[in-house]
Amino acid sequence: MRVELTGITKTFGKVKAVDGVTLTIGEGDFFTLLGPSGCGKTTLLRIIAGFYTPDDGDIRFDARRVNDVPAHRRETGMVFQNYALFPHLTVFDNIAYGLRARKIPRWETTARIGAIIKSVQLDGLEDRSPSQLSGGQQQRVALARALVISPKILLMDEPLSNLDAKLRVSMREEIRRLQKELGITTIYVTHDQEEAMAVSDRVAILNRGRLEQLGTPAEIYHRPQSRFTAEFMGASNIIEMDVIGYDPKESLIAAEAGSYRLHIRGEQPAGGRVTLSVRPEWIRVVDDTSAGKPGILCGTILNSTFLGAMIRYRVSGPGGASLTIEVHDPEARGIRAKGDLLWYQIPPDRPVVLRA
Amino acid sequence: MTKHFKAWNLIVALTFTILFFAVLYPLLNIFRASFVHPETGVFSLKSYASIFNYPFYLRCLRNSLFVSALGTLFAVAIGIPFAFLLARYRIPGKNLLKTLGTLPLILPTFIGAEAWLILLGRNGMFAKLFQPLGIEIPSIYGWKGIVLVFALQFFPFVFLMVSSAINAIDRSLEEAATNLGAGRLRVFLTVTLPVIMPSILSGGLVVFYLCIENFGVPVLIGEDFRVLSVQAYNEFISEMGGNPSMAGALSMVLLAITLSLTLLQKYWVERKNYAMTSLNPLEVKRLGPLGTFLGWLFCAGLVFVALFPFAVVMVSSITKTQGPVMYWGQFSLDNFIRAVTIAPRPIINSFFLATTATLIGIVFGVAVSYLLVRRRGVVSYLIDVLVMLPLAIAGTVQGIALAATYNRGVIVLTGTWMILVLAYFIRKAPYSIKTTSSLLQQIDASIEEASINLGVPPVRSFIKVVIPVMLPGIIAGGIIMWVTTLAELSSTIVLYYGPWATMTVEIFQRIGSGDFGPASAYATILIISVLIPLFILNRVSGKDIASSL
Repeated sequence: MRVELTGITKTFGKVKAVDGVTLTIGEGDFFTLLGPSGCGKTTLLRIIAGFYTPDDGDIRFDARRVNDVPAHRRETGMVFQNYALFPHLTVFDNIAYGLRARKIPRWETTARIGAIIKSVQLDGLEDRSPSQLSGGQQQRVALARALVISPKILLMDEPLSNLDAKLRVSMREEIRRLQKELGITTIYVTHDQEEAMAVSDRVAILNRGRLEQLGTPAEIYHRPQSRFTAEFMGASNIIEMDVIGYDPKESLIAAEAGSYRLHIRGEQPAGGRVTLSVRPEWIRVVDDTSAGKPGILCGTILNSTFLGAMIRYRVSGPGGASLTIEVHDPEARGIRAKGDLLWYQIPPDRPVVLRA
Repeated sequence: MTKHFKAWNLIVALTFTILFFAVLYPLLNIFRASFVHPETGVFSLKSYASIFNYPFYLRCLRNSLFVSALGTLFAVAIGIPFAFLLARYRIPGKNLLKTLGTLPLILPTFIGAEAWLILLGRNGMFAKLFQPLGIEIPSIYGWKGIVLVFALQFFPFVFLMVSSAINAIDRSLEEAATNLGAGRLRVFLTVTLPVIMPSILSGGLVVFYLCIENFGVPVLIGEDFRVLSVQAYNEFISEMGGNPSMAGALSMVLLAITLSLTLLQKYWVERKNYAMTSLNPLEVKRLGPLGTFLGWLFCAGLVFVALFPFAVVMVSSITKTQGPVMYWGQFSLDNFIRAVTIAPRPIINSFFLATTATLIGIVFGVAVSYLLVRRRGVVSYLIDVLVMLPLAIAGTVQGIALAATYNRGVIVLTGTWMILVLAYFIRKAPYSIKTTSSLLQQIDASIEEASINLGVPPVRSFIKVVIPVMLPGIIAGGIIMWVTTLAELSSTIVLYYGPWATMTVEIFQRIGSGDFGPASAYATILIISVLIPLFILNRVSGKDIASSL
């Protein structure tokens, strides 16, 4: 089922929790609403579920406007952050709850629960009460309970935030597998950018109630449009430079910071300055012998953090800024200490010009 | 969603209406009455002037403060060591002592007073035993007896609050002090005691409140030692509406005291609470053989002295009696037979009124708990204040306020059983609200949303999901409401009329006329009716009833 939001706005008191969000979620998409706490992602999800009525804007499931459809008739399956399992019911009865509300015949209920229990691997736990389950098992019950009613849309509100790091990774793979198997349109809320990249077909970045950027994880990571997105989705070096010229034929911006000059591909900037985003792993460390060549920068290592698979340096950069550089397989490349000098190069085709 | 919302608005409006007419309006009404001149009927400060001009009224106030202060002092003095010994040391029979140690606070105080009259009164057991030998036994009448009963019945509050504070202390706290070089006494004085101090103060304030609002004990054994609650009752009852202005003024003085105690407790002491979730509770230490014996002797002795009176009442109920004269050792079931066959009405009345009030209170309690927990806001804050207000009002004062307000005009309730039910349910509903709302607080609102999301409409979701989860709290709260209503005397005595006398009224009047045998029979029925549900609740839910009071 397609979900279409147009101009959704929701205000609590004086706070605009959601501010004019328009987006479309395609049939069978795994769609993630990503943003820091307070960005409006959960509010938006609850508007789709029908727990909040938007002050303005329309919600459409396929072509049907559902603004006035009450929450219990929206046919969505929701997985809550704290699972919201009914503490007085067993695992089986928790999962059966939605089917019984729909007056599904008993034989069918049993069959459907049997199937879903198998696919979320809860076999043998049917008669336990929720308090006797581990966090991961509770999560599976919540997922089974939402899926067994065969909802048109699956809604998930930070479903993994109460699990430990290892379980989070395996659960998100399982959720992804189930979602693909069932081909169900899924809207997933998280504040964890890594999680968002790992599971999503498409991601919407939300900031202060507004839609910041929309795209596949790779698009958003490689082509962030704003400083907020660049810094929120992965780590990023933000470099401010003065514009000294523009070549419209090649679409090249000539910019400088201090004595350092750089040509970046991009549209003609409006002002005299450009803000660039450069991912730490894009910066290349070069040999000492390259010193003095054009485009080669030299910085003092301010801080060096060894992380096993890589080493992360904080070095002084052009125009008084400091940059983060990540070097993979550090042993092969030589580990440097704080205070050492480091020669490096920003590949001219990599920096992304951010929206002013 | 919108329908859901409207339903709750209706409940808010209804709750407000009930609270306004049952709590606020009667209080405002006697507040107004206290400023009316008893003879001329115009605005006047005469009643207040009388309180501060006549030595008699001032003495009532002084007496009230005096017995309450002493009662509190003794309750704290015995409650703290009792709590400490049981929480920190190995004492034989600890669990039994803990359970028995909380019983006095559920048993009606005026029955305790009756027991001491049977033991130490003018025609009492000890008088009979010792007077022939020429030994003068100390008098139970007056302030000494009142203080004795107060201390013995209210020390469990101090015990409960202090021991839960001790149990919340993490072992590391004392260890840190020791590690920093403090000796055992220093650790106790500089760390342990300050940490539990708020609980001691809190317990003390509660006890002081219970003492000053108590009616049964001073009226039965105070004799000419008058206190405020008793005098307010006398002014009101003499010739029925004898002097509503004076009764109102005395009530207002009492209300001012009880209200400030409650506010002090809520906003000063509770704020100083050092809430900790202790991961490693304090080690339970073993004392030497002598220490263990002395510790046990103190705890067991205290429990014995506190509960002995109730055993005396139960024994006296099956003893042959003639007026105040007891033929000890001669047993007879006459008192019970008389109570059940000739005058069963008080028993039926008590059960009927308590059950009706409890059922109404449960419905009210569930709705209000839901409003308080799930619909936070200014409105729910106001409801919270109003609904808890009766806990800060002396029973006598509330009785007077209701009786004076609904004795004429559009709604006449005075002299009906309905006014008793109203008084009970409004006074006891806070217990039900406390137990249900604390349970509701632990449950995230999302379980309701989960149910709605799975296709069950809001109101049915509430019934199918929220009610079952609240059920243990509803049952516990209901039982507390029921037993405390059954044992209620101070507002009943003001509000009842002839045919609607309850067991408590019957006991009270029989003691007053020296008719101890039948009084003890009703008292025994009352004690058993109170203990059985509490015992069942304890067995079923493992819940200590006292924690909910």
